[in-house]
Amino acid sequence: MAAKIDVELRNIKKVFQNNVVVQNFNLQVEQGEFISFLGPSGCGKTTTLNMIAGFLEPDEGDLFIKGQRMNGVPPHKRELGMVFQTYSLFPHMTVAENVAYGLKLRKVSKTEMQERSKRVLELVKLPHVADRYPKQLSGGQRQRIAIARALVIEPSLLLLDEPLSNLDAKLREELRDELKRLHQEIGVTTIFVTHDQEEALSLSDRIVVLNHGHVEQIGTPADIYHRPASEFVHTFIGKTNKLEGRVVARQDRLLTVETQSGLRLKAVHPERAVAEGDAVTVFIRPEKIRLTAADAPADANRAKGKVELTSFLGAFTECDVRIGTEVLSVKVQMLDPGLSLSIGSDICCQWSPEDVLIMPGERG
Amino acid sequence: MGRRLAVPLLLAPSLIILLGVFLLPMLLMLVLSLQNDQQQFSFENYLLFIQDPFYTGILWRTIRVSLWTVLFSLLLGFPVAIYMANASGKVRGIVTMLILAPHLISVVIRNFGWVVVLGEKGWINELLLSIGFIHEPLRLLYNELGVVIGLTDSFIAYMVLAIATSLYSVDQSLSKAAAILGASRIRSFFDVTLPLSLPGIYAGVTLVFSLSMSAFVTPSLMGGTSVKVLPVIAYEQVMSTLNWPLGAALSFLLLGSTILLVALFTRLAETKRYKEVFAS
Amino acid sequence: MKKPSLAGIITVIVLLLVNLPILVIIPSSFTAAGYLSFPPEGFSFRWYAKIFERPEFIDSFWVSLQLAVITAVLAALFGTLAAFALAKYKFRGSQVINSLLLSPLTVPSLIIGIAALLFFTRIGLAGTFAGLLLAHVLISVPYVVRLVLTGLSSFDFTLEKAGYMLGASPARVFWDITLPLLRPAIVSGMIFSFLTSFDNVTVSLFLVAPDTTTLPLAIFSYMQETLDPLVASISSVVILLSLVFIVILEKVYGLDRLFGLQSQSH
Repeated sequence: MAAKIDVELRNIKKVFQNNVVVQNFNLQVEQGEFISFLGPSGCGKTTTLNMIAGFLEPDEGDLFIKGQRMNGVPPHKRELGMVFQTYSLFPHMTVAENVAYGLKLRKVSKTEMQERSKRVLELVKLPHVADRYPKQLSGGQRQRIAIARALVIEPSLLLLDEPLSNLDAKLREELRDELKRLHQEIGVTTIFVTHDQEEALSLSDRIVVLNHGHVEQIGTPADIYHRPASEFVHTFIGKTNKLEGRVVARQDRLLTVETQSGLRLKAVHPERAVAEGDAVTVFIRPEKIRLTAADAPADANRAKGKVELTSFLGAFTECDVRIGTEVLSVKVQMLDPGLSLSIGSDICCQWSPEDVLIMPGERG
Repeated sequence: MGRRLAVPLLLAPSLIILLGVFLLPMLLMLVLSLQNDQQQFSFENYLLFIQDPFYTGILWRTIRVSLWTVLFSLLLGFPVAIYMANASGKVRGIVTMLILAPHLISVVIRNFGWVVVLGEKGWINELLLSIGFIHEPLRLLYNELGVVIGLTDSFIAYMVLAIATSLYSVDQSLSKAAAILGASRIRSFFDVTLPLSLPGIYAGVTLVFSLSMSAFVTPSLMGGTSVKVLPVIAYEQVMSTLNWPLGAALSFLLLGSTILLVALFTRLAETKRYKEVFAS
Repeated sequence: MKKPSLAGIITVIVLLLVNLPILVIIPSSFTAAGYLSFPPEGFSFRWYAKIFERPEFIDSFWVSLQLAVITAVLAALFGTLAAFALAKYKFRGSQVINSLLLSPLTVPSLIIGIAALLFFTRIGLAGTFAGLLLAHVLISVPYVVRLVLTGLSSFDFTLEKAGYMLGASPARVFWDITLPLLRPAIVSGMIFSFLTSFDNVTVSLFLVAPDTTTLPLAIFSYMQETLDPLVASISSVVILLSLVFIVILEKVYGLDRLFGLQSQSH
């Protein structure tokens, strides 16, 4: 049975003073999904969220929430929940009054208001702060109350605009886990805007990657990470090594690429659009490169080099290896005790063909 | 230069002036107010005020005029502050400039301008008469209405600034939060914007009230001989009648009444809840 | 296009009202008629010429001008030094001194005027230029103190230390490093004091004498007897003069900052 579509954006476009901020935005969000809009600042993610909320109107395209066309409907009639970057708790109301505000506007009975408020405060694990004022709460607590306030009205859709950006690193992780737990418990359809790829990867069912108003890719976290649709998506998520080279041999879908410094890589490229002689860009993630002793013979997907820089980072070690004119950034978790990573030592880098990503390069 | 020497030296000129032209004279004035015409210590000036209905009537008129001024400044000034809070920085700057610039021109001149506008043969009357809207000139000057108009013109800028400052510090996304929770724009105004602008409103109200109570020039020029307020009476006692003790006493009574009323207002307005929310 | 909001409409009305008196005066001064009217009848400079027939206006103008200039200089000097003492040296009682220096702002001009009259009469300063000057400096210093203190609150005193380390004497440091950074605050303090002094009525009212009166007071007394276009022409001159200073003040410091309004742009 087809899942229900809670939110649909069709060809959404927004222009600000001759700048196209968002275009060709098409998305269908299923009921209960956790979707993230991910991208650098200025990519249009917050603009799109504001259009879904009703604070901005699209210049072109249609917006549907639960099957109803929402273009032109003011925000206060959309029955959505929203959490802002700056929490936006009303400073002149107590926590209880803040949480109950949405219910008060809907003329819910006093007893029901109290009951539902109590339940939602227990849900965010803050049952005892009802009579305090927002300024007496910590940042993390305020954010949880903001979430409670949005959820208590039982919205069809929950919107979160970079809710964790104002928190310090430790609190961010804690609250991230909270959000995940809450989503699993309640299952409300959620759209989450962030520029932090870790947040997007860990929380989402699917991610929409945006760049300068364009949708670069829509996919599961695994899709985005392992099968990026474009160079932008690949380089935005996580670190990577980027090399330019030329296709020197092609056997069905197996390509052999040689870089400027003679590094040879073999990889499977899923499309047939790349031919022998074409210029391509090759990517390997640092954690996919293995370090071995330098005595093994050179081969495709294996190269000898010299250690240039080493950083011990506790859980893992980062290392820059110079191979000819290129430098590969490597990240290893467990080091072979026999290997030396001191500056200048010879070392061998090795990787599997599945971990090489090939993108068509520039012409010529 | 050692700080022991520096501080007194730097402060000396200002403090000497403060002491010699302000504190000492005011003390002298206070002592004088407690004297009768035989230079003996006496409360008679203050008692005269309380007992004579003429003076209490004047005080009441002064208070009345000030309250009307506060009301009009609030009704007209609040929307301006709201507009400024929602406007871009550039627009805010222009509005601020236009509302403050007249302040730097002497009040005598501004009042004269109002005379030209409001007088019997003034602009408004001539205009309304010529289009037949009225048949007799309106009395807009040399009465309490004229004084209130003049005072509102003088002090509305303070009300606007006080409220606008308060509103500027309100988080922009609060009205968004209210909207998404279901509040219409009117509802959001009463539930969120208005309560949060209370500190500014209270500051503006007390400031405009205090300034109106002690205003001298505008009531003189726009009130005429029939509408006299306490500052004018005090002036007359000092400069015409030369009854300095009484003049001094009347001035302190004016100051005292103002402080009392402001304190009363503050007491009533700053409820327990207000203090919890707005006290730092 | 956004439709105009109610707040916007009221704002325009208020701005018109507040500027109306000034806008009305200037055209009225050019009337050819012998009486005051708006709109003016005809066009003539006769009422400007008449100013020169009235010595009290010319004389009082000079008195006001001299008074304002000296007040500006003295208030700026005293106020800056005092603000410096407060900001740089955190001494016991600096809060009290701060409140003390700002206190004239909280007391009605009426009381300041009467008090000054009573005291000055005792010491023979009543009705003198010196007496007026002292009073004007008194009411101007608080503004300068407040302005310079605000300017100093964001001043990094380690800049001075850097100067000393490089070998500059305290006077040199003050002149080369501190003063230039405080210039906007001091200059606007001077201009504001000038305008406050030039415009002042209520305090001056008690301290003038027949031969030492200020321009606003001359206008004030004239207005109590006659209301003719002469007031309009004098006022127009004053308005023009003030506008020059207002524009300078806006450029150097900003009127909003001056009146204590910190507005952040969107």
